[in-house]
Amino acid sequence: MALNPMDIYKLLPKTNCKKCGEATCMSFAFKLLNREKKLEDCKPLYEDKKYERQRKKLEEMLKPLEEATETGLIVDESLCTGCGNCVVVCPVHVEKDPKGAAVGNGPTIDDPILRVEDGVVKVINMQACRRYGKNRVLCVVCRENCPSDAIRFLEG
Amino acid sequence: MICPGCSCLCDDVYIKDGRVFNACRRGREIFAKYSENRTVAKVDGKEVDVDIAIEKAVEILKDAKNPAIYGLDTTVVEAQKLAIDVAEKLNGYIDDNSSFCLGELVEAVLKGELPTTTLDEVRDNAYVLVYWGTNPYHSLSRHLSKYTYYPRGKKRPRGYDEDRFLVVVDVRRSETAVLAKKNARFIRVDDDAELVDSFVKVVEGKAAKYAKDVGVVITEMKKADFNVIFGGLGLKYGLKDLNQFKEMVKKLNEVAPVYFIPAGFHGNMRGFNETLFERVGHVNRYSFGDSKSGEEFAFTELLKNEKIDAALIVGTDPVYSLPFEVSSKLGKIKSIVVDPRMSFTARIADVVIPSAISGVEAGGTMVRSDGVRVKLEPLEEKEINDVYILNKIKEGL
Repeated sequence: MALNPMDIYKLLPKTNCKKCGEATCMSFAFKLLNREKKLEDCKPLYEDKKYERQRKKLEEMLKPLEEATETGLIVDESLCTGCGNCVVVCPVHVEKDPKGAAVGNGPTIDDPILRVEDGVVKVINMQACRRYGKNRVLCVVCRENCPSDAIRFLEG
Repeated sequence: MICPGCSCLCDDVYIKDGRVFNACRRGREIFAKYSENRTVAKVDGKEVDVDIAIEKAVEILKDAKNPAIYGLDTTVVEAQKLAIDVAEKLNGYIDDNSSFCLGELVEAVLKGELPTTTLDEVRDNAYVLVYWGTNPYHSLSRHLSKYTYYPRGKKRPRGYDEDRFLVVVDVRRSETAVLAKKNARFIRVDDDAELVDSFVKVVEGKAAKYAKDVGVVITEMKKADFNVIFGGLGLKYGLKDLNQFKEMVKKLNEVAPVYFIPAGFHGNMRGFNETLFERVGHVNRYSFGDSKSGEEFAFTELLKNEKIDAALIVGTDPVYSLPFEVSSKLGKIKSIVVDPRMSFTARIADVVIPSAISGVEAGGTMVRSDGVRVKLEPLEEKEINDVYILNKIKEGL
């Protein structure tokens, strides 16, 4: 299920109390999704009893954030068949591994982003992903070419 | 190492620290679980020495009036040759799974009725890739990523991004069809013959049912000097007459070069087809007694019509894979199973001879779906393998 900041915002107190250090609750919702803030930073949500139901819903909603990698990539190994499409399509692999993943073989470099191990894809080196860090690009080619929906991103 | 899991025969698989790298889920299971569910030598349900089981097998085959040899698709070419020798000596029947799989398509390729190429050439040169009646997601997991659509090749440096055009023909939106997004076309068909007809008519400039889709595909084909059709079981069973398809490929070649490669079968099914073809000129369901091949000599037909009294089954599990009305007839005849695993057929067989898993415990040659011969690189060499067993049987006769 895709997470979006609007859904998070709807469950926040919407008082713009600034106790979290953000100017607005909407901005806090964005930071939550980017994992720059934690839900616990919203003090009223935990202190005021009237927000308890909303807080529980939010905790449930934000669970995928914990299993996702730093770039928001989530791999469901139970769905993966190890076809390796994601490994071969990855533009970073093409650049770094022209004799391996770029031409369809398994990666020949030591630190590929993704690699098929024991029949399923595993995340090895997320730091190399184009989605990582400050100058990130919202690349989704691995998800787009996964025939079994084993790869998804937090944003959908 | 070479993975013997399917006819892709992937050559970049390796094992390190007990983990299997680069193999798909099916390939991984072969390497990771090869020691599980192993069989032991048995005669009439009692455990015996391997040599005694082989002697008993020879005895059964000698006494049989109409013996058949069946299976052989997961073993190596060297063992297949010996099996053909045994069938010839017995004047019996020989068949493999290709009689209800893609045998017909392989035969057309071997006879030169369909122009063919290799997967390495496809990777380097192919532009339009048509997957017709096959879903490699299930049958050949790494086909698209290793050989066809995704990899970058010499003349196709931008790979699937811009240098390939994917066409998927199927009766439903399969997992492979879902991948047909940019630079691609999914054609849903009710009747394959109508689509074949549409291709022919569009080349001739006539109106046709699928003219819109087919028109796009042919326009793309004309842009390149290398296009391929991969045909699977959907193509074989969707068409009543394969000649129509052969005509279509011929017609397409008038406007653009189009090659054909069968897709989707056991590790060495094409190896069996080629080996038998070299020997007798037919790819499967052959009777040495009648010196001819025919539908009535398919193992399923022989069993169903109770034409055989003994069967030597090598590396396949008909009790599991054939319909009950056919496989139940196995109980009426004498059966010998040569298999590394305790298959369902091994449980009901009169004689069971434990073998080695080709590619893991036994070396040899296998033939990829495009006809390229691949030398296996096993983890170990077991003395008792299919070649040893079939050689002993051959000598014993």
